[in-house]
Amino acid sequence: MKKKNIEYLISLFLSIFAALVIGAFIMWANGRNPIVGFAALIKGAIGSKYNIATTLAKTVPLILTGLATSISFRSGIFNIGGEGQLYLGAFGAALVGISLVNLPGLVGIPLALLVSAIAGGLYALLPAILKVRYNIDEVIVTIMLNTVAVLLTGYLVNYPFASDVGKLGATEVIGEGYQLSRLVRLSTLNTSIFYVIVITIIMYYLLERTSIGYEIKMIGQNPDFSRYGGINVKRRMIFAMVVSGVLCGIAGAFEVLGVHYRFLQHISPGYAWDGMLIALIVKNNPLGVVLMSLFFGALKTGSISMENATGIPSELIAVIQSIIILFIAGEAGFKSKIKGFFARKDGRKKVGEKNA
Amino acid sequence: MAEKLIELKNITKKFPGVLANDSINLDIEKGEIHAIVGENGAGKSTLMKILYGLYQPTSGQIYFKGQPVEIKSPLDAIKLGIGMVHQHFMLVPSFTVAENIVLGVEPRKSKIFADYNKAVKITEELSREYSLKVDPHAKVESLSVGIQQRIEILKVLHKGADIIILDEPTAVLTPQETEELFRVIRRLVDKLGKTVIIITHKLQEVLALSDRVSVMRQGKMVGTLMTKDANERILAEMMVGREVLFEDLEKKEVARKEVLRAENLQARDNRGLLALKGVSFSLYSGEILGIAGVEGNGQSELLEVLAGLRQVEKGTITINGNEAANKDPLEIRELGLSHIPEDRLSTGLSVEATITENMLLGSHRKEPYAKRGIHLNRKKIRERTDRLIKEYDVRTPSQDVVAGNLSGGNMQKMVIAREFSFDSDILIIAQPTRGVDIGAIEFIHKEIIQKRNEGAAILLVSADLDEIFRLSDRIITIYEGQITGEFLSKEITKNEIGLYMTGKHKDLSQGGA
Repeated sequence: MKKKNIEYLISLFLSIFAALVIGAFIMWANGRNPIVGFAALIKGAIGSKYNIATTLAKTVPLILTGLATSISFRSGIFNIGGEGQLYLGAFGAALVGISLVNLPGLVGIPLALLVSAIAGGLYALLPAILKVRYNIDEVIVTIMLNTVAVLLTGYLVNYPFASDVGKLGATEVIGEGYQLSRLVRLSTLNTSIFYVIVITIIMYYLLERTSIGYEIKMIGQNPDFSRYGGINVKRRMIFAMVVSGVLCGIAGAFEVLGVHYRFLQHISPGYAWDGMLIALIVKNNPLGVVLMSLFFGALKTGSISMENATGIPSELIAVIQSIIILFIAGEAGFKSKIKGFFARKDGRKKVGEKNA
Repeated sequence: MAEKLIELKNITKKFPGVLANDSINLDIEKGEIHAIVGENGAGKSTLMKILYGLYQPTSGQIYFKGQPVEIKSPLDAIKLGIGMVHQHFMLVPSFTVAENIVLGVEPRKSKIFADYNKAVKITEELSREYSLKVDPHAKVESLSVGIQQRIEILKVLHKGADIIILDEPTAVLTPQETEELFRVIRRLVDKLGKTVIIITHKLQEVLALSDRVSVMRQGKMVGTLMTKDANERILAEMMVGREVLFEDLEKKEVARKEVLRAENLQARDNRGLLALKGVSFSLYSGEILGIAGVEGNGQSELLEVLAGLRQVEKGTITINGNEAANKDPLEIRELGLSHIPEDRLSTGLSVEATITENMLLGSHRKEPYAKRGIHLNRKKIRERTDRLIKEYDVRTPSQDVVAGNLSGGNMQKMVIAREFSFDSDILIIAQPTRGVDIGAIEFIHKEIIQKRNEGAAILLVSADLDEIFRLSDRIITIYEGQITGEFLSKEITKNEIGLYMTGKHKDLSQGGA
């Protein structure tokens, strides 16, 4: 197990390194200096207090959606509907924030989070039940439910709950008590990061140190083995899916309560998808999710500064992210190829020795 | 001295991390039956796959009739007249016998359309020439395993093989089918001048059939001897590398009490067909009840039903006085039943999980391993795992090794350790030694007998009749989802059992009447 982890870490760093090299090559091919480009990227990500704060702010939704993906993928039921759950959660939080405007934060914030958690959780429960009861593929159902949620909230925010100012694709601003305070001037970093730290610890404990986490892992690895051993596979799958939905819902709530202070029609630029990529890269390891989210957050933040400073388009970062995924996905294949190469080399040596 | 047909010189085959064959020398004489024996993983199959062109040797040379040859693919092997019957048959179940036999070399009408009538004619001719009776029009899926094997042999002969390699041919056959196969092999060699290489690990068969026998161990060739100079003990010792004591297992008299009763059980298989057609039996504490049957006659379904893994259609199961039909696996485990499943890779363990995790299943909600059923106590868990590893002789550098990296025998010991550790009254054990090496078989048998002597009730299913006879106090036979007989194991012979396993006992009694 230990050896396997080290092997994995090596391939992970090689993948990241290779992706960065390819990124550098693309910059160079476009007539830019890669060193200048990367310097601007790093400076933009961690160059100042403001930059670090922005990186952290971008990390918040990634950690939540990454953890959400981890628990569902570990249990072998695939929640691809994080984006939809995030939208519903965000809208739920905003709904509380604009209807019970005068609640104090101490009551209001937990209530808003609760509503968003329920919204996200219920929205994940539906495909989970369809899966365990009727064996309907959860991947397809959750993907389609994304569209439903995005369009539904889009309608709600443009008609019944449209802001009085006009059709902005946004609700009214939520009550002041709900607004999470900002931590660093000008950046959107807010107190949600503390909630996220607590949630991460809970999720780590749940997945790695409890019998529930053990059951989830075993189900994901071999459902027949789990059933044979007396685990209630269906119940655990539903549990994992709902927790996943809850986390996505909360991720949406923090975007409303901490960043925009209102629900926007396009509130997420695909956080759930990024979270999924992160979880895939780190093989659903909760601590890995945190580290990889920070890395992705830094890339996102840095890429904007890089574009401003050097004119290298920030989309390059999306290319680099995709290349990392590609390498990690091919990890097993590459590894056996490399091992096979060395084994053959050894073999040849042996033959040579004999002939000599 | 007979002509040397094939010589393998210094054949070495390396896989990443494994030396499967280590400079093997072997010669095959024309017109002999040459047995190759060895434990699982000794490298027998690898060596034969090299001879058949499926693998390329890392180094070494093959000589055919004294000439060095390179066998790059099975096509090359077939050209030299070498044919192989694999352990898992390569037949298309939905095709007829004739279609299967000509598969790949189909006779053509106007060079385009398959000529089915010609295929039938070819099959009939082959069947006559080699006196192997088959019905060319029968669909393969409707035929017994023995007949399917016959088709495989005909297929190889049709391709013009003079040297036939048989990989574990008797693994799935009944005693009667085995005898029939041996007669066929004898005839091929004595009457038709063929040469046969047979891979097996059943020593009795080697002694009964072969002219010479080569023993392999851990990738090396231990030696070749004339079968008439060998006996079971010598071969077993060569295979294992130490003395193996097939001592009689001591069975104590233990108080008998009915702990499990099945009445008129009916259940369907995965295809929805009735696999159990009213099975009734009782299981008592302090006994081993063996279920003998040809695979696919309802044994698997019966075990799954008892363990709560398959729906009961009709009938009742009573465990320690409690109704247990259609309870879920957890409830059944809590009634005092442990289960060693027949397919350990798909059901008995998770290949990706560590030994620790694999051994934890079933205890993961119990004190002291989980505080209040939730918080896992790693220290206690690791202590227990270490204890079980030692007690059950699981050979591994540490408990953090992933189960998929263990050998078959060690995997099985891990599963047995876990299930035996629950101290259940009832143990359901399926194929306890399938794919397990001789040393581990000895150990596993002893553990099973010890559980029996401690008063556990054990239901044993095995495809290996020898194992059933060695362990069981009582034997029931199952055929097409029904119990066809019940015997004390002392009072019946293997051949008689074979008749009950194939439903032929009725002909016997009718003939007698």
